[in-house]
Amino acid sequence: MQYTKIAQNNYNLHVIETDKYKTIFLKVNFKRKLKKNEIAMRNMLVNVLLESTENYPTKRLMEIETEELYELGYRGSNYASGKYSILGLDEIFLNPKYTEENMLEKSIAFMGEILFHPHADETGFDSVGYDIAYHSLEDYLSSLKENPDAYASIRLLEEVEPNTVLSYRSCGYPEDLKNINRKKLYQYYQKVLQEDIVDIFVIGNIKVKQIEKLIAKYFPFQERKMEHKSHFYHVKNQKEKVTFTREEASLQQSKLWMAYRIKNATDYELRYVLNVFNYILGGSPNSKLFVNVREKNSLCYSISSSSQPLVSILTIRAGINASEYDRACALILEQVEDIKNGKFEEEEIQNAITTYKNSLKSFEDNAESMISLYAGMEYLNSDPIEKRIEQIKKVDKKQIQQLANKCVLDTIFFLEGNEENEKESFETL
Amino acid sequence: MKKNHLKHFDLDLYQETLPNGLLINVIPKEGNNIYVTFITRYGSFHNTFIPYQQKKYYEAPMGVAHFLEHKVFEQKEGEDPFVFYTRNGADANASTSYLRTCYLFSGPGHVCENIEYLLDFVQNPYFTDENVEKEKGIIEQEIKMYEDIPYWKLLERSLENTLQKHPLRYPIAGTVDSIRKITKEDLYTCYDTFYHPSNMFMTVVGNVDPKEVIETIQNNQAKKDYQSREPVKIKQVTEPDTVVKKEDTVTSDNVEIPKLSIAYKIPVRDFDKQKFHFFLNFYFDLRLGSTSLLLERLRKELAITGEISVDVMEADQHFVCVVSVETKKPEYVCEEIDKELRLKQVSEEEFNRKRKTLKSGCVYQSDSVYTIASHVNSQLLRMNTILLDEYAWIDSLKWKEFQKAIQSLPLENRSVVTLLKKSESL
Repeated sequence: MQYTKIAQNNYNLHVIETDKYKTIFLKVNFKRKLKKNEIAMRNMLVNVLLESTENYPTKRLMEIETEELYELGYRGSNYASGKYSILGLDEIFLNPKYTEENMLEKSIAFMGEILFHPHADETGFDSVGYDIAYHSLEDYLSSLKENPDAYASIRLLEEVEPNTVLSYRSCGYPEDLKNINRKKLYQYYQKVLQEDIVDIFVIGNIKVKQIEKLIAKYFPFQERKMEHKSHFYHVKNQKEKVTFTREEASLQQSKLWMAYRIKNATDYELRYVLNVFNYILGGSPNSKLFVNVREKNSLCYSISSSSQPLVSILTIRAGINASEYDRACALILEQVEDIKNGKFEEEEIQNAITTYKNSLKSFEDNAESMISLYAGMEYLNSDPIEKRIEQIKKVDKKQIQQLANKCVLDTIFFLEGNEENEKESFETL
Repeated sequence: MKKNHLKHFDLDLYQETLPNGLLINVIPKEGNNIYVTFITRYGSFHNTFIPYQQKKYYEAPMGVAHFLEHKVFEQKEGEDPFVFYTRNGADANASTSYLRTCYLFSGPGHVCENIEYLLDFVQNPYFTDENVEKEKGIIEQEIKMYEDIPYWKLLERSLENTLQKHPLRYPIAGTVDSIRKITKEDLYTCYDTFYHPSNMFMTVVGNVDPKEVIETIQNNQAKKDYQSREPVKIKQVTEPDTVVKKEDTVTSDNVEIPKLSIAYKIPVRDFDKQKFHFFLNFYFDLRLGSTSLLLERLRKELAITGEISVDVMEADQHFVCVVSVETKKPEYVCEEIDKELRLKQVSEEEFNRKRKTLKSGCVYQSDSVYTIASHVNSQLLRMNTILLDEYAWIDSLKWKEFQKAIQSLPLENRSVVTLLKKSESL
């Protein structure tokens, strides 16, 4: 695998040459400081760009073209990376060896079409595509509760710290959506094209020179400031008391979510120790939470912990019967306390390290995972694979205990189902 | 050891059937990750059968196959499977479907050791009254978690209203009530019947030496005392062509955007089942999928949210094509979908364009150990064989035959379920 970065003043081009895959993966990322009121705008932008283009004026025509391009896949996303917002458009297509010689150029040109030939004029984006995208996002924002775990995770972080990058809803907010129209969105897109930091990643059986030429031909980005700062966000104010919030919902299963703030952790702790700590606590079917709360006490089916190093947060989730709230809370807290007090084995640390190393190896089998590794190096200053393996091996028991003791319980969010009515949550008319 | 070439994946397939009946498939592929699945042909469809060494049919409580999947991890002595696999840096898991129960692990390295352990733990579980009882709380939560998902509820109701007798009408995991009745004896009855090697197969995909893998399995199995056996007799139900209920409405506080499902019940009759399955997928995709005119129009009218999804499910002598969509105008959308499907016309050009995508699909699939294994396993479960040249099979799908198949579809035979928000329904 050969990695080349070509830094220019209009975009960074990252090319990963490898003969491991039969596919070629292309990712174009637009990055800028995360602002709350722009989230809905950026989500709309992704939807509208993928709805139609100048030469394929409806979604159906775009889809037919992708079938002609041998099932080329395309999609978009918009997510927060600590203090930054990343809007990404992806394309995956077959190595021309399995299709036709000119398919590399045609496939890259298709992404160029999406980015530089949107279906728009001076009045803004085409109204049909705009309305479809608007309708779809509006419905999504109004139906968050249909996915109780996703809803609970959003509400949990809002209770930790409302109105900071830590808790902004990645789907955006209805009041911001209402302020958008097709003209404003188009103007915003011009700003994104001109100002956002652009990183383009291409991986597959390709040649740097050839990719460089094709990208320059189809992606005529102008010059811009390409500076960026750290993505890491550190929670500032320490709460005096734990926040408890309870909401009712018409559910058979209640959702118990907890958030720990990680105070003053070092860079090494956030990048490495946290990983091992999280694995031992709730990152595998052999973890403390899984074994003690699920296997030994039968309180739940799903239970896990997850770390968010970019915002110094550790979360724990479990799906339980409402009546078991007290028992489940006590048992979960006990598991964290046990790690703080060093009640865990050396073998658990070694298992976590082995799993970490193996997952990095497995990453190499997947083009998209490799791009995420290189994106991490670009955006977060992550270490390359070999260095990561060296670093993770150094994690020891004392460091895990120290980090666990920097974790302070901040919030418990309980989405409480009404068990007594459990059979009636869905009624037949 | 038999060697064949899978043309569509450009990979080799090594196969061996052991004296005890176990079929082994090995597909070497470059890369780090190794994915191994160990499958018994036992899922929620196989609920009434003649147990091993018995003479009469036995009807198991709903959800036993899935319950077993949880309990097979229980060992009398030695190491817990999850402890073993985490130590080797592999992910272990299991899942149950209508047709099979699958035990698996994935991860680089330690392949022979990991395979041996997979065989050993699945072939030597330990059930007690106490450990069976303890699992009920866990599975109850698993069932409730799914029951809270509106789309899940919609599909469940749809199948219940479409099938009169076939087990497809019941949820794979059973219900909270049915699993409470399950005993240690039920588990042993089902286990002893279905977990014999002759009813199972193992598929290994990844950077492995096929000879070494097959020898490891051979040696492991030779140590165990499995006698040869007749195939399990499963009770076949005669499923009528008609649906249970033509229209139904369900309400819930959980639902914000109303949802609609239309389940078309289609008898297989005298068609080649596999081809018919593909034709149904083709037809529903062409009429309602991403390149269809109807989808374009309904989206433009803002009548629906998102896509129209289609799931073609197999119930022995019937296919159930479940069309589902989010819509605030369920009656209108239902009528439009019905009307569109009754057109029964597809041009040869459209047919050929779709057919071409199947071939590209094979190349995409061949890039991942997971999709390779799931493709091969699914063929073994449905067709009892692995296609060596899928391109040839795709080329054998002809437009004229397709036309004939769709002309005969009894599309009036369907069951509609609407899922509404409680307060809006009155």
